[in-house]
Amino acid sequence: MADRVATPLYAPSSRFRRAVPSWATFLAVFVFLALLPWLPILGWTDIFDSGNDFGKGNLAFVFAFAIAAVGFNLLVGYSGTLGLAVAGLFALGAYGTAVLSAPSEAREALAGYDWPFFVALPVVCIAAAIIGVLVGFPAARLKGFFLAIATLALGELIVTIIRLDEKVWDGLKTNGGTGKQVPQFRVPGLGRVDSYYMLSLGALFLMMVAYVVLTNRRLGRTLKAVRDIDIATGPIGISSTYYKLVAFGISAFAAALAGAMWAQNSSFANPSAFRTRLLVFLLVVLIVGGLSHKWGPLIGAIFFVFLRQKLQDTQKLLFLILGITLILAVLILPNGIAALPERMRESRWVKDLQRRLQSLAGSVGSSI
Amino acid sequence: MSAVDTAAPGSSPSESHASLAIEDLHVAFGGNRVLQGVDLQFTPGFNGLIGPNGAGKTTVFNVISGYVRRNEGSVRLNGEDIAPLSRTGRVKAGIGRTFQAPRLILDATVMENTLLGRHHLFRWGHLAELLLLPQQRREETEARQVCMDMLDRFGLADVAHEEAGALSLGSQKLVEVARALVADPTVMLLDEPAAGLGADDVTVLLRGLRQIQAERDLCMIIIEHDLQLVTSLCPKISVLHFGEIISEGSPEHVTTDPVVIEAYLGHGFEAEEGGEIHEVESPLSEHHHIDHVEEEGELTEVWTEDGDSEQEEPS
Repeated sequence: MADRVATPLYAPSSRFRRAVPSWATFLAVFVFLALLPWLPILGWTDIFDSGNDFGKGNLAFVFAFAIAAVGFNLLVGYSGTLGLAVAGLFALGAYGTAVLSAPSEAREALAGYDWPFFVALPVVCIAAAIIGVLVGFPAARLKGFFLAIATLALGELIVTIIRLDEKVWDGLKTNGGTGKQVPQFRVPGLGRVDSYYMLSLGALFLMMVAYVVLTNRRLGRTLKAVRDIDIATGPIGISSTYYKLVAFGISAFAAALAGAMWAQNSSFANPSAFRTRLLVFLLVVLIVGGLSHKWGPLIGAIFFVFLRQKLQDTQKLLFLILGITLILAVLILPNGIAALPERMRESRWVKDLQRRLQSLAGSVGSSI
Repeated sequence: MSAVDTAAPGSSPSESHASLAIEDLHVAFGGNRVLQGVDLQFTPGFNGLIGPNGAGKTTVFNVISGYVRRNEGSVRLNGEDIAPLSRTGRVKAGIGRTFQAPRLILDATVMENTLLGRHHLFRWGHLAELLLLPQQRREETEARQVCMDMLDRFGLADVAHEEAGALSLGSQKLVEVARALVADPTVMLLDEPAAGLGADDVTVLLRGLRQIQAERDLCMIIIEHDLQLVTSLCPKISVLHFGEIISEGSPEHVTTDPVVIEAYLGHGFEAEEGGEIHEVESPLSEHHHIDHVEEEGELTEVWTEDGDSEQEEPS
């Protein structure tokens, strides 16, 4: 007992991780994405060709969806709480920043409150987080199916209020069902498209840093405990209700931030864009990308935006394919594309294939 | 085996003289009266709570840890009624608990699972964590040190960074005991800690519990079906039967009390005047066939079903 065992207090990292720390990989990915507008090496994809505005716009959409999915990931993947208000909070972020930052002296489609964009953005995101927590109070007592229904209703409620506009309150200025023009924030020294590309990327970077820092530490453990131990967390000293509210708040913040970025990018917001369809899109991003995986949201968003642009002319086909993908992902890749390398390594089929290839190479070698 | 250890570095031996008093406790689920006027006094040391299945033992724990609302009566921790406290509030007040089936995050490491018990003692919040404040990091490292010491006592230091799901059921239960103990409780509720454990794990569990008890003078309350284990560990045992306490006292008193033998052990149980028990074939010992219990000696011999023998020396 006197000689303590030499087990390290923190889990030792693998040899690969010691050579290339995960923060280095993380930074490299974001530096690469930040340099993309000047590095048109994705020309072969046409959809993500960063050499033109179309490709950059698509990438900016990827970032926006990934931001929402990061928060969604924390809520669903970590705390195991199936809150589905994310589409409504996304709309809140889009409309909130649009209305607050629009000039007050303008026609109805562009009228607002003259707030600077960088004041409106945090205010809207924090307001969304507060709404998320308030909704969480009753919702945290519900489970699974009932929780999903209750939060889905909240999402629809927000969209309905936006649609009703002056019938709710004439200061709302959402311009009803016809849609709202979004005043775009211009990063000094950058063009219109580069500006919102960088803005979305920066927001994704901050969100991802927060996500990685928090989930790798105490909050991540605690949320997993809420997910797996749930009712028994009380005698451990962890209030599952409190932490469900924390997860609701962070995911609502992320959803609103994503909505704001999406609005900057599309420059026009219409209430019908935020119906349950958007929720399905985000579920595809999250589940196909990989639940509770760091890179899941980004990979899922790339997959989704690619598919949406490919099938732009045939909307019905898009939904069919998304549905099939979602089912296949749940069946074959329950941990998403992000977990694919890990799954490949463990798969018997791949190991068998490797063995066969080696023996084939051996026999070819001996016959020559 | 149970040599009392001097305080290990890193641990915080807090001398407490916690007492838990239950008075006239009534609990009913609908028409089913589970507890009918239970009076119990728990003092520092090992307290045994035994009784047949369905006697209401776990319900007593559930009332203490806040899962079940009592109908009548009171539960007092050091004289204070704990009824207004939430479940997490009771943990802060010093009540720790384990469950019959281990409740762990299976895809988190043993260390992470153990750290959960320490979370309520963290002073720095999640914002400090997000800002990567060095104080927060230091606090995390200190907590990990405390957890590692505790895991070491239960022979789990080597698997500290393994996933909890990869461990045997016995080891998982030990992790849960360690997690409850790092929360620095003064009253510890152990719900069948030895059920499902192999003989080696039981030895490790008892050694660890005795060490901690000796260092911190905890009030440990143990529900256990293995009578041999309870009688060797607990100087005071209470017997619960159909929601009532039917007997209380020393192991000798309880195991020879005719009321207990009648109600709990069933027939075919022979007890002699001197309190010695011979050839016990009863539902009492689920895991061990008790061959011989020597009441006055320090040595107790347990024969497991495989015929392996191990020796226990109660402190």
